[in-house]
Amino acid sequence: MASKPLWTYEAHTLHDLFCEGAVSAEEIVTSHLARIRAVDASVGAFLYVDEAGAVAEARRQDQWSAAERRERPLSGVPVAVKDNIVTQGMPTTAGSKILGEFVSPYDATVVVKLKQAGAVIIGKTNLDEFAMGSSTEHSALAETRNPWDLSRVPGGSSGGSAAAVAAQLVPLALGSDTGGSIRQPSSYCGIVGMKPTYGRVSRYGLIAFASSLDQIGPMARSIRDARLLYHVIQGADRHDSTALSSAGDRTVSGGPWRIGVPREYFGEGMDAGVRRLTEAALERLRGMGHALVEISLPHTSYAIATYYLIAPAEASSNLSRFDGVRYGMRAEGRDLLTMYEKTRDEGFGAEVKRRILLGTHALSAGYYDAYYLTAQKVRTLIRQDFDKAFQEVDFIVTPTTPDVAFRRGERDDDPIKMYLGDVYTVTANLAGIPGLSMPAGVADGLPVGLQWLAPGLADTALFDAAATLEPQMEPMVWPMGVEA
Amino acid sequence: MELSDREILHVARLARLRLTADELQPLRQDLNRVLDYVSQLQRLDLDGVEPTLHAANDQAPLREDVEAASLSVAEATKNGPKVAQHMFLVPRIMEGGSDGE
Repeated sequence: MASKPLWTYEAHTLHDLFCEGAVSAEEIVTSHLARIRAVDASVGAFLYVDEAGAVAEARRQDQWSAAERRERPLSGVPVAVKDNIVTQGMPTTAGSKILGEFVSPYDATVVVKLKQAGAVIIGKTNLDEFAMGSSTEHSALAETRNPWDLSRVPGGSSGGSAAAVAAQLVPLALGSDTGGSIRQPSSYCGIVGMKPTYGRVSRYGLIAFASSLDQIGPMARSIRDARLLYHVIQGADRHDSTALSSAGDRTVSGGPWRIGVPREYFGEGMDAGVRRLTEAALERLRGMGHALVEISLPHTSYAIATYYLIAPAEASSNLSRFDGVRYGMRAEGRDLLTMYEKTRDEGFGAEVKRRILLGTHALSAGYYDAYYLTAQKVRTLIRQDFDKAFQEVDFIVTPTTPDVAFRRGERDDDPIKMYLGDVYTVTANLAGIPGLSMPAGVADGLPVGLQWLAPGLADTALFDAAATLEPQMEPMVWPMGVEA
Repeated sequence: MELSDREILHVARLARLRLTADELQPLRQDLNRVLDYVSQLQRLDLDGVEPTLHAANDQAPLREDVEAASLSVAEATKNGPKVAQHMFLVPRIMEGGSDGE
């Protein structure tokens, strides 16, 4: 029997202990539920915790033989799911009022895969409304705080998932990443988060934000755990025609590698602690025998403008389905149009409205060419920047964000400032390539993230590469005393 | 290309959003700041550049034409705010248009 609390263990260790029969799934799950009860009133990571369902599933798994446990790679392991991923039998809100009492009649493909792999789904985590935001402050339903400093944001939009993993409420969580929404909160909370190559993971059952950019990905406290979760959720899906069916993994040599350091990612506006820890990580890579190569991604400075046209345009179309008719809340009106308008006015928050209006404008007659089509052409240039870079280098390493977690309320009144924090992450979504954030260390008590970028389809190679650096880094000391 | 209140209300109508007077002023300010910011893209020479519509790395796959289970009508309609006999009820449609409430 374990000497330290089970909620402190990583997922692969919990799974091994369960397979060996050293602990029961019920002990694992009740330990995590107790941790949630002790801590989540201060952190606010979860919107919904399915205590009864999780315990019932654990008891069911406790009946399994050793072989049955072993053949399911996540048996006995508690997992949290971002609340824009639909789940049968639990509410799904997308952090919005407009979904009302919605309970999905089906599971997202990633949730089906989690269940098949034996994961015990603990609950649903908070997010910026429809994943639109970088702080989780735009959730219409709850506040989530950074476990390292409760006066600060956890990042976003997958802030609930990041906070849940960092506060050790769960060892694993799913997030979604449209412009950095897995990697940025992972950086702010000191965990590992990975956005797969576009199409590696099915989006079926992910409430669509920007369909050409969205990907679901893993969040964990180690690269090994993130890779374990990634391998469970990835793969083709008959319900999502963009889920890759034919393309195999792209391999990268075992090294030493040529590691690209893009000069555009080290400009002004970077926090001093971020710069120091990023440079220290790069020095470690050099010390491991890899070559650091200065590269240029010349269209980087246009990425935010490109993203903030393409993503709202796609969002304005995707969110047209919330009309008070088929699911969610309805505000009554005397005719259909009035009902639509009142429902959407009452149901959507300010940031969502801002983006719907921006996107509708960018797609409207007379403006389409100037905004949406122009942004798609610049997207081509950004992709070509990466294509060219990856002819010269195996991986690219950058900071994940220019800064550390900021104080709650600090960026409320300035959308541009909020958007600019995504400058290092949006490019991977625009180019469709995989990106991973891992902890680079802690500066003045707050975690700093290091981002790895790899060529499209080199997802497994990306995990392998980052895993070689992990043991060279100072081990993370997770915040324990987050009880208020 | 600053948006006026009138233009924002037109876009809001297209998006089926009803903005209150309180919402309009801050939204106009925010939207115009964002539009001013994105106008930097106009500086680039984009002659001959093809647009990227999608990041998909694969051909659109064809799936085998085999029967599979789908949701029942009852399950598919259960989340509707007003449902009768598995049909969604909506307010009257004729004489549509905003009533200016």
